[in-house]
This record gives sequence, structure tokens and C-alpha cells, in this order.
Amino acid sequence: MSKGFQIAAGATAIALLLGWYGWSQLEDGSTFSYYQSLEEFLLSSEIGEHARVHGYVAEGSIQRDVPGRQVLFVVQESPPHAGGDGGARLDVIFTSLETPDLFKGGAEVVVEGRQLGGAGNRRFEADKVFAKCPSKFEGSQSDPTRSAALD
Amino acid sequence: MAELGSYSLRIALLLAVTGLCTAVYAGRRGNANWQRVADRAVWATFAFVSVAMGALFTAFATHDFGIAYVASHSARSMDLSYRLAALWGGQDGSLLLWLWILLAYATACVLVNRHRNRKLMPWVVAVLLANAIFFLALLLGVTDPFEKLPPDHVMSDGRGLNPLLQHPVMLIHPLMLYTGLVGFVIPYAFAFATLVTGELGTQWFRTTRRSTLFAWTFLSIGVVLGGRWAYEVLGWGGYWAWDPVENASFMPWLTATAYLHSVMIQEKRNMLKTWNLLLIGLTYSLCLFGTFLTRSGIVQSVHAFAQTPIFTGLFLGYVLVTMTFFGAALWFRRKGLRSPNQLESMLSREASFLLNNWVFVAILMVIFWGTLFPVFSEALSGQRIAVGPKFFNTMAGPLALLLLLLTGVGPLIAWRRANAASLRRQFLWPIVACAAMAGLLLLTSAQRDLYGLAAWSLGSFALTAILQDFSRAIRARMRGRKENPFRAIVTLLVRNQQRYGGYVVHIGAILILMGTAGSVLNVERLQNIQPGAEIEMGEYRLLYLNAEAIPAQHYGGAVARLALYRGDEGLAVMQPEKRMYWLEEQPASIPSVYSTLREDVYVILTAIESDGSATVKVYRNPLVNWIWIGAVVFVLGCIIVMWPHPERRTRREAQ
Repeated sequence: MSKGFQIAAGATAIALLLGWYGWSQLEDGSTFSYYQSLEEFLLSSEIGEHARVHGYVAEGSIQRDVPGRQVLFVVQESPPHAGGDGGARLDVIFTSLETPDLFKGGAEVVVEGRQLGGAGNRRFEADKVFAKCPSKFEGSQSDPTRSAALD
Repeated sequence: MAELGSYSLRIALLLAVTGLCTAVYAGRRGNANWQRVADRAVWATFAFVSVAMGALFTAFATHDFGIAYVASHSARSMDLSYRLAALWGGQDGSLLLWLWILLAYATACVLVNRHRNRKLMPWVVAVLLANAIFFLALLLGVTDPFEKLPPDHVMSDGRGLNPLLQHPVMLIHPLMLYTGLVGFVIPYAFAFATLVTGELGTQWFRTTRRSTLFAWTFLSIGVVLGGRWAYEVLGWGGYWAWDPVENASFMPWLTATAYLHSVMIQEKRNMLKTWNLLLIGLTYSLCLFGTFLTRSGIVQSVHAFAQTPIFTGLFLGYVLVTMTFFGAALWFRRKGLRSPNQLESMLSREASFLLNNWVFVAILMVIFWGTLFPVFSEALSGQRIAVGPKFFNTMAGPLALLLLLLTGVGPLIAWRRANAASLRRQFLWPIVACAAMAGLLLLTSAQRDLYGLAAWSLGSFALTAILQDFSRAIRARMRGRKENPFRAIVTLLVRNQQRYGGYVVHIGAILILMGTAGSVLNVERLQNIQPGAEIEMGEYRLLYLNAEAIPAQHYGGAVARLALYRGDEGLAVMQPEKRMYWLEEQPASIPSVYSTLREDVYVILTAIESDGSATVKVYRNPLVNWIWIGAVVFVLGCIIVMWPHPERRTRREAQ
């Protein structure tokens, strides 16, 4: 066998090994999906299902339950400052006191967790809450995850 | 100021186009006079872009809020230093800075080579100016930093700068990063000129060695400073999150590092010519691609700037043109680049360098696919799926360990072919050190993390290998030349600055890797405490003293005071802050860090609750300081390698 062939065979073997390892890692729960909007979530979700949901914190809805080590708030479909009734609403129980800096009434958030209770008594237990930058800065004027890549 | 800047850019564009045409003409005709015209066009373009930079700086300094960019990135309450740094706080100004650095490099290159490389220079200048023209056109057409607000929109104050960017590191981090990223245009231009002219010798990389190292050093500094900024400002307890913007700056660093190694094989053994050209083309393309990636918003990033589709399209086109031209030229010259030499043995320094190159490329692939996974998964399945830090850590971690091993093996193994006796002599002490470290960790530490164990053992192996090489060389000089040890070290570094300076760089890199491995032992805790209560974390105790309002300035908020004890010994009063920037309406958590060589205690104030208690997050991060120490050693090594050496210069000029 020529040296070139040996090298090519070695490189291919390593690449395959890496690819396989990478693939196995992907199935191992280290990936996450991008989020659904609140209305999409309410249409499709089932009790106990893991989900990431996007919405806005309803003004005045945040209650920090310090002894219970949780934060209760309401997420609504559209931003409060847009007027109207804010669309669909969902009660969220965040099971930590560690709210992000940008978390406040009106903030754009993504909550990650699972749904508790069926229609009529629907609640969402979040183990993670992400808040987005205020739209004043360039950082977030539009939502990069929803705009098509190169339109 | 807006007019001055705007017209300077227009004149610069005219000059650059003229320069490009004359350079191509000079290159095709081999005409030295036209080439002198092109050289001067580079200087003139640089001068006018400098005027534009000056105009924008002045606008920021004098609160010229009639300019949209100034109004949306600064405010009267900001310090002058932050107002000036606001120039690179947004997209338009960043691109102007990019252009200015590009032309600064081009001018320096033209000056340095005014009597050298005359055959390559027309094409080098053409490539540099072509790049500059793209940015000039972009700045004049799409992202104009001098755009004026309509008169009825002009306010008496600006909107301020993102408070996260108002940090000392941000004054210099973008400068360092851009100096690094843009700097690869020089080796790229020389490589391109080599391919166009068919002068396929070693001239192109010998000429660009120092500028490549220079760019690489600054890119490294930029990457580390980015981590430092994240650690001190973002308040999540870490320094690296595999965010797309971090990956974007890390990818060209990987190919550049691979290049710096494989180019030595070309130098010593005249092999891998195509590969080296490919790596340099890839490096520059990745620099541009990274900018495209973070600016276009095709993947979600905390740093993504606002996007305009036209900008995205143009920039992607630019990246593709850069790659295609280079690839085509490389294909066209492929026959002339065949190497006369073959790899002789897998047990040789060449082979270990080659393996090192593969590992760098493998890490690149991991990061590339991981970063772009949302794009690919959407194309394939219609659903955007992202991969988290865990993916990157588990994939790149083992590869980093392999690099650590190779860092140790490199100095131990001979060029061409190593024999068994020399291998035994060389490997004995490093392997002993490796085993000793592994044994020590297994015996003393309750923690049995495989990655940490491997990283610290292999780190000891590599460190010992390098120090052994140093000490042998020093002892040889002390015996042979009767030099004292200090003098021997200095002469070594001076006489063989590439080799021993390179080893110093390796020591820095090893320390950084060993430091990052400390993260496997990180501990974190979130706790709600009343004043007078304590948080316990291992042998540390944090006593919550009180909280008070921050004296009002352009931000307000609360600061908590916590006394840190180890046993009964008081170590520090930690004062994490929760700030609110009034003008920008943005809060920020500023952590308080107690830092030792062993570990950092990192405290974040999450909230002051209505009942007077504080919710505090505490991290215990081992070995973080070694990352910063390693970075300093790393840069020191780079300086040693690049240090101009009077003896060598006279020798080169004599040749």
C-alpha cells in the first residue's frame, strides 16, 4: 500500500469515527429545538410534553414566591405595548428564583419546561427562562430564528 | 463631520479603484512605474479612510447626534473613552474599523516590500485593494456610518450604548480581534499572488511569516479577551459558551494554527505546498465567513447585529468570491505544487505535525457543523434544531486532549525518522511526570472525572517534554560555552527564537487547556438568605452582611455585601451588583470574584427580594486564573518568536 493510501484510509477512518460519535451525541439530548409561539404550543401540546415556548411576560403578573423558591408569572402571545388584549395567555411556574437580568413585565421570553394540567386548567412548569434584549438595541430588532436565512 | 467622512470615503473608493486597475496592469505588463502608482494609491486610500475614521471619532467626541450612528450608539452621560469605543459598538462603525485596519496592513505591506518581491507585489496590491473596494462600496451604499438623521429627528441626547459593552475590555477587545482577523489578508494576498504569477517557491510564506504570526497573536488575544469579558460582564459564571460569535472567531484561529505548524514541514522538507496554500485560503475565508455568520443572523447569537437582507446577500457573495477565486487559482496551479518528497515514517516529527493538522481540522469540522446545525437541520427536516455546549464539549474535548499529547510528542521526536534508542531517552521523564500526576490525582482527589484526569496528566507530560528540551539545551550551552544559566536561556531564545519562542507559546497553550479542564470540578449553588445568614460551599462560608443602593450615576441599583471566610479566616468582602442603566433601560448583573491560583469564588446577586433577603448565586470555579496566566505566557512566546533580531536581519540583507 502506498503512503498516500494509508493516510487517506486513516483519515477516512477517523472522520467516520468522529461522525458516528457526533451522531450518537446528538441523540443524547444535547440538542434542543427552537421554540414554538404560545399559540402554536396551545394548539398542539399534550400534558407532560417537553417544550420551549415563546411569548411576553404580562405586565404586573410576576410574583416572586421566595419561601417556595419559585416565580409565578403569565405569558401572553403578543407584547403588552402593542395594545389589544395580548392574545392567548398561559400561567407559568418557574421552579427557581434565578430570573435573568432582562426578565420583567413586558419582556420577551422563551420558557422551557413541560405542561401541567389539561384544557381549562393549563399551567406550564418551566425549569429555564430566557429573556431577550430590549428591542431598542440592534441586538434584537428582529427575531433571527424566524426570519428565513437569506431572503 | 458627516460630509467630511462621507466625501473622504468616496475619494478613497475612487483611489482604490484606480489603484486596482494600475496594479493589475502593472502585474500583466511587468511595469515597475505603474506599480509605483498602485503603491501610492494604497497610501492615499489609507489616508482618506483615516480621515473618515477621524471624522467619526470627532463626531462621537463632540456629541454630533445629527449622525444617526452616533445618536444610536452614544449618549452625553458616557465617558469619552466609551464614546470613542462606541465607534465599533455597532455594525456600520465596525465595518469602517475593519476597512481602516485592512488599509493599515496594506500600507505597511507596501512600505516593507518597496524593494522586495517586486514580481508578486502588483497582485498583492490588487487583492488588498479589491478587498478594500468591497468594504468601501458597502460603507457608501448599504451601511453608511455617516448617514444623517432628518432634521426633525435630531435629539439633544443619544440613545446610549448597550451597557454590556461599557466595560474596559470592550475598549480593546474588538480592536485586537479585528487586527487578528483582518491581518490574514496579507498571507492570503501573497498566496494568491504566488498562484497568479506561478512563482511557487517559498517566498510567499517567508515574506508573510511575521505578519501571519502578528495576526495570529492578535486573534488569540482577541479570543481570550472575549472570554474574559464574558466572565466579568455576562454574569453566568463561565467564560466560553460555544456561542456562534465565539465559534466564528475560533474557527479561523484553528486553521491558522494548523498552518503555522504545517508551514514548518514545507520549510524543512518541501512538502505539503498545496495544503499550506489551502489552509491560508481557508483561514481568510473563515475570517470573512465568521463576520458574515455573526452579522447576518442566520444563526441565533447574543451578539448578532441587526440584519438587512441586502447586506447579508452582499457579504455572502463576497465570502464566496474570495473562496472561489482562490480555489480556482489553486486548481489551475495544482501540477506545479506537487511535492518531490514523501513522508518517510509515521514515527517522525513531520508525521506528528500532520496528525496535529488533522486534529485542528477535525475540531474545525465539529465547530462548523455544530454552529451551522440549525441551518442544515432546517434545510433537511424543516425544523431548526440547535446543539448545545454539551455537544461541543464532548466532541472537541477528546480532540483537545489529543492536541495536548501531540504538543508533548512534537519536541521529543526527530525529523524524518526517529529511532528506538532516542525515543526511550526522550520519553522517559515526560511519561514519568504524566504517571505521577495521574497517580497524585487518583490518590488525593475524590473527584474521578476522566476528562480532568486526562487533561492534567497529559498537560504534565507535555510541560515536562518542553522543559526537558529547554534544560538539555541550557546545560549544553553551560558546559560547552561556560555560560551562566540566565545567559544561556537568553542566548537560546535569541539564537533560535522560533523554536524556543514556540515552546513558550506551547507552555501558554498547555496552561490554558489545563485551566479550562478545571471546569469539570465547577460547583454552583443558588440560595436565598436573610442578612446575617450564611451560605456554605466546601470550606468557604459567605456571610450576607447587608445590601444598599448604588449611588446614583448613569446607572442605579443595589449592591450586596457578603463576607467571604475560609474556616475562621476572613478573605474578602464581596460586592456583587445588580445595576439598572436608566437611559438604555437595561439591567445588568455585575459579579464579584475572589480569585486565587487554585480557584475563583464567583458571586452574582440575582435579586434583592421584597422581604429584605437576597437571592445569590455562587460558583466555585477551579483553575480559572491559569487560563489568563497561560494567555500571558502565550503572548510572551509570540513576542519572542516575532522579535526583530538585528543580527539575523543583517545576515538576511547580506544574502
